[in-house]
Amino acid sequence: MRALDGVKIADFSWVGAGPRSTKDLADNGALVIKIESARRLDLGRRSPPFAGRPKDHDGSAFFAQSNTSKKSVTLNLSDPRGVDLARKLVAWADVVVENFGPGYMERIGLGFDELRRIKPDIILASVSVAGRTGPMAGFRGYGNSAAAHSGHAALSGWPDRPPHMPPLAYGDVVAPMFATVAILAALEYRTRTKQGQHLDISQIEPMVHVIADLFADPHSTKTGNADPVIAPHGVYPCKGRDEWIAIAAETDAQWRSLCEILHMPFDPQLATAQDRVAQSDILDRSIAEVTVLQDREALLSALAQSDVPAAAVQNGRDVFEDPELRAAGHFVPVLHPVLGESMMPAPPMTFSQTPPVVSAAPCLGADNENVLSGILGVSAAQLEELESLGVIA
Amino acid sequence: MSQLQGIRVLELADGLIDLGGRMLAELGATVISLPRGAPRTTAREIAWGHGKYRVSWPDDISALAPLLKDADILLEDRRRGTAIPDAMLKGHDRLIHVVARPYSAGGPRSGHTATDLTLMAQSGLMHITGDPDRPPLRFPGEQAYALTGIQVATGALMALHARHSTGCGQRVDVSALQATTLANYREAIMYEWTGRIGNRTGNRLVRGKSGVRQVWPCADGYVTWSMIDNPNMMRAVVKVLEQHDAAGELSQVDWAGILVADMPQDVIDRWETIIEGFFARHTKAQLGEWSLTLGWGLSVIHDLDEVRNSAHLAERGLFVPITTDTGTIALPAPLFGHGAGGPAPARNCPPERPLDELAGWGALE
Repeated sequence: MRALDGVKIADFSWVGAGPRSTKDLADNGALVIKIESARRLDLGRRSPPFAGRPKDHDGSAFFAQSNTSKKSVTLNLSDPRGVDLARKLVAWADVVVENFGPGYMERIGLGFDELRRIKPDIILASVSVAGRTGPMAGFRGYGNSAAAHSGHAALSGWPDRPPHMPPLAYGDVVAPMFATVAILAALEYRTRTKQGQHLDISQIEPMVHVIADLFADPHSTKTGNADPVIAPHGVYPCKGRDEWIAIAAETDAQWRSLCEILHMPFDPQLATAQDRVAQSDILDRSIAEVTVLQDREALLSALAQSDVPAAAVQNGRDVFEDPELRAAGHFVPVLHPVLGESMMPAPPMTFSQTPPVVSAAPCLGADNENVLSGILGVSAAQLEELESLGVIA
Repeated sequence: MSQLQGIRVLELADGLIDLGGRMLAELGATVISLPRGAPRTTAREIAWGHGKYRVSWPDDISALAPLLKDADILLEDRRRGTAIPDAMLKGHDRLIHVVARPYSAGGPRSGHTATDLTLMAQSGLMHITGDPDRPPLRFPGEQAYALTGIQVATGALMALHARHSTGCGQRVDVSALQATTLANYREAIMYEWTGRIGNRTGNRLVRGKSGVRQVWPCADGYVTWSMIDNPNMMRAVVKVLEQHDAAGELSQVDWAGILVADMPQDVIDRWETIIEGFFARHTKAQLGEWSLTLGWGLSVIHDLDEVRNSAHLAERGLFVPITTDTGTIALPAPLFGHGAGGPAPARNCPPERPLDELAGWGALE
């Protein structure tokens, strides 16, 4: 048994912000049917890296990792008959998920009021950049928009340089995690009250939440890698090209151990964290002068033995091959029809009674027959006709 | 009623679970929190602690037994070791016990200590963040802790859902390294499929054969915008440039017929020079207005005060006054919009108090 066995989700979402949420749910047992369009492909299917030809809409590893354990049907939602099939999926579902531009669901007759007429206790989760209400409700952006509007960009980077945007859409990571929590809370609420609800998840707001500590400090500024109460707290070079080690001495005892390991004299004027934070720039330079001559693995080993928090700054290869992540089952091998056996990220948690199971992402429309006939009761002849008419497409 | 009204959460917090408990509190659960003694700033205590009943760590851990007896969820932070002996949990069959630790229980780093910084380093996120001429850089705040905390809430809620079917609680183990690495959604698979290793590229977003710029100075600050493969968006931007006689060769580009990611870098650079000049002549407000009304995908880069004072976020009620023992501060509170009824959850941040002053769950609800 998996934690969400029996939960049924009609998933209209695409690219990153919605699909990552429904992946969480699908890996844990929810039956997630992804409603796609062959005419207007999920941009995730066009995102690199690819196995084989980039034009193959089933060959994107990017798409595959965000859509594990789901089913795929293709419906033409610009055709009323396609919308009719979508409405039947809504009637079947417990939860509908979408991250279209503002107003799209209403325009095709699948706004929340209509969904409630179809199924009174339906849960609709809408994920968007700025939410469905407020002056920016119509804002069209992408994952990094949330970094700009939330304060992340302003506080990222070095104090002496312009704002920094990491090369990933962090808003597309955090918002779907909030969406998952929202959907689970709404399911709990429905179990108790028999009532559905419309969940309005903005990308900006979760991004504000995850730096709430910085909003709680009226004097927050860009600090690079420094911490207000821990020093040393930085990234230091080691021997070799682009080899770095992160070290954070949380306690005075760890600082003493670090001094011993680096053969740095213990300075009584730096005995307390407060002293060290006040002189963190000088401290960082002194440490870097020592670490740059050291082998990273040897240093890591010595620090681990003395219980000083430290870690290698890992690159993509290191992460993919990381023994800890492998042992934890972070990447699990799944067999995909186009990608072959490939490693997909699993949920970052284990359940003692309801373990998740990760299976391959679906090829485009791979479940048309199973879903439309098996769940919605469309006959084989109707299916053929709807395909020929471009409704299932 | 609120979404989690009546759910009782006991939290032993040390960074990894704090946001998870905060989310459950915001959803209406009653959360009693005991800090495990990590060095925390007042700002962190308030940010992650509001809406919880904060109790000081008892001399004898068995003093928690009465609270544990009637708890639905125990969030145990094992960043620096076990807090609750297994023996104390015997007989609590309906208890959902969520344990967060830096690494997996049985992996090669089991038992190693970690902080937000070291977890970020291992996740691969820092390697690609920052400038090529500087050390790798973390994200602002404590993002490894935050990401883990959200997964803690997720695990607790999934187990709560399962409990309706099984009648039983269960143990959920969350790995902070995995939770953080999950955010690094591109680098490991890029290596797996292409052998390429991403590096720090400053404010350039490199996709395919070329890199595009992400941060642009404007007349009174900075905005973020990138040339991406969205033909409608690109046409909307170029249209305004044309109205200002500033589009140059951009007018000739068939945006639906090309992939920006496949364009040679020198072409991208040429196009970006045109954009740069235009942005530099206009204010954040003007560029933001065009973006909102015309669908540019451009965002103004706001500082924290601009975020706090955002008319949009004010209308959505994101920032809420939180009363602490030293005053009132505006902090983000609602996690998302929803249609559940019930009163707003408790959000104040009273000072920590001794455990024996707590009269049990019933007195808090």
